[in-house]
Amino acid sequence: MKLKKYLTLTRAGIIEALQFRLSFVVMVIGNLLYLIVVYFLWKAIYASAGTDVVNGMTFTDTLIYLVLATALFNFMEMYTVWEIGRNIQSGKIVLDLLKPMEYRKYLFWSYSGSFVTQFFLTFLPTFVAVAVVTHGAVPMGINLLYFVISVVMAVSVNYSIDFIVGTICLYTESIWGINIMKQVVVLLLSGATIPIAFFPDTLRTVVNFLPFQSIYNAPLSLLLNGSPDTETLLTTLGTQLIWCIVMMAISKVFWKVSLRQITVNGG
Amino acid sequence: MKRKGLGFYAKIYCKILAQDLKSKMSYRADFIISTVGMICTNIAGFISFWILFRNFPSINGWSYYEMLFLYGFSLVSLTPVQCFFDNNWSLRQNVYTGDFIKYCFRPINTFFYYQSEVFDIKGLGQLAFGLGTLIYSWIKIGLGFTPLMLLKTVVFMITASLIMIAMQNAAAATCFWIQNSFYVLDLAFRFKDYAKYPITIFSPVFRFIFTFLMPIAFIAYYPSLVILRPDKVPVLSWLSPVIGIAFFWLSYKIWMHGAKNYSGTGS
Repeated sequence: MKLKKYLTLTRAGIIEALQFRLSFVVMVIGNLLYLIVVYFLWKAIYASAGTDVVNGMTFTDTLIYLVLATALFNFMEMYTVWEIGRNIQSGKIVLDLLKPMEYRKYLFWSYSGSFVTQFFLTFLPTFVAVAVVTHGAVPMGINLLYFVISVVMAVSVNYSIDFIVGTICLYTESIWGINIMKQVVVLLLSGATIPIAFFPDTLRTVVNFLPFQSIYNAPLSLLLNGSPDTETLLTTLGTQLIWCIVMMAISKVFWKVSLRQITVNGG
Repeated sequence: MKRKGLGFYAKIYCKILAQDLKSKMSYRADFIISTVGMICTNIAGFISFWILFRNFPSINGWSYYEMLFLYGFSLVSLTPVQCFFDNNWSLRQNVYTGDFIKYCFRPINTFFYYQSEVFDIKGLGQLAFGLGTLIYSWIKIGLGFTPLMLLKTVVFMITASLIMIAMQNAAAATCFWIQNSFYVLDLAFRFKDYAKYPITIFSPVFRFIFTFLMPIAFIAYYPSLVILRPDKVPVLSWLSPVIGIAFFWLSYKIWMHGAKNYSGTGS
C-alpha cells in the first residue's frame, strides 16, 4: 500500500521524539512560564481597559486564543528551514534526493511522528487545562470538528511556507537570518502573538489577503465560535483550502526550479 | 600560572575580534541577511507593541511612553549579551564534538578566551533600534536631562546586562552536564521577551519568582524605575547593581566549574 511507506517514517519519528525526554520537560516549563506571563499581562490589560469586551473578545476568549495559539505553534513547528539548511551545508541532502520519494514528502513524513507525540504530550493537555480553567468557556460541539479540519489545512499551509523559505536557503546559504525573518513575519501576521481582531482596520484587511492568517487565526476563530453561520464557515475553510493548494503548488514548482541551482560540497 | 593584567586581556581581545570579523566578512550575504533578520525581529516586536497600545491606552498605571521606555531599555541592555556572549550558543556543539578541549589548553582564562572568539555584529542593529526608542520615549515623557541621570542610566543598564549575561552563561553551562541543552538556552533566551513588562502586573507569588528565582524583573523593570519614578524607588532597584554583579559572578563560577571538569571526548 502506498501509505505504508509514509507511516513507517511516522513511526520512526515517534520513537526518535521519545528519546529526548528531558528536553520535553524543559519545553513544558518554558510554555508554562509563557502562559503565566500571557495570563497576567492580558488580565492587567483588560483591568485597565475598564470594559469586559474589547474588539468583540472577552478576556477569556483572548486567553483561550493565545494559549491555544502557542500550543498550535509547538505542534506545527517542524524546524523545516533548519533541517533543509543544515542538509544543504553538510551535503546530506544528496542522499535524501536519491531516495525513491519526493524530498518534499520525505521531509514532511519524517516529521509527522513529532506531530503525533506533540499532539498527545502538549496540545491535548493544554487544551484540557484551558477548558477546565475557563470553566468550559470553550464551546464543545460541532465546532471541534471544524477546528480539526482547519488545523489539518493549517499544518499544510505552514509546511508549504516553511518549505518555500527552506528552498531560499539553496540560494543564500544563510539559515539563521532567513529563518528568523520567516518566524517573525508568520507569528505576527498569522495572529499568533496578538489576535487579528485587535489589528487596525487597514492592517486587518491586508492580513486577510495573505496566507498567514490561515495558520493560526482561522482554526482558532472557528474553535471559539460555538455556532458559526454557514457563510463564515464556508469562507474561512474555503480560503484555507485555496491557500493550501496555492502554497503547495508554489513550493513544488519553486523547489523543482531551484534544484538545478544546488551546489553541494562533499557530503 | 601567572595572573595576566587587564591591559593584556584588552589587547588580546582586539586581536581575536579582528580575526572573527575578517572571517565573518567572507560570508557577506549571510551577514547582510542576518542583520536584516535582526532588524525585522525588532520591527515586528515594535508593531505588536503598537497594536496592543492602540487598543489600550494604559496598562496597570503605565502609560504608552513609559512602556516604550521599558521596551527600549530592555533592548539596549540586551545588546552586550548578543554582541559579546553569542558563542554560548555553540558551546553545546563544541562540548559534544570535543572541540572544546582546545580552549582548555590556552594559557589564558578559558571563559574569556571562549567568549572573545565571537563578536556578533547583528546586535548593533538592535542597539540602534533600542536607543532610538529610548530617546524618543525619554523626550515624550519629558524626563529632562542632567549628567547625573545619564550616569544613572548607564550604570543601571550595565546592571541589567549583567543579569541577562548571567542567565545566558548559566543556561549554556548546563551542556556540561546534560545533553541537548539547546532547550534550556532557548528558554533563558525567551526570558528577554518578558522583561519589558512591569512586574506589578503579576500576582505576589510570581512577583517573587520573577525577582529572586528567575531575575527577569532586573532586566528592565527595577533599573528603569530609578529613571522613570525617581520619587519612589524601591530598595531592590538600588540594590540591582550588586545583584547583577553577584549573579554574573555566580554564573561565571558555574561555567568555569563545568569547563574544569570537562574531560573531552577522547578524540
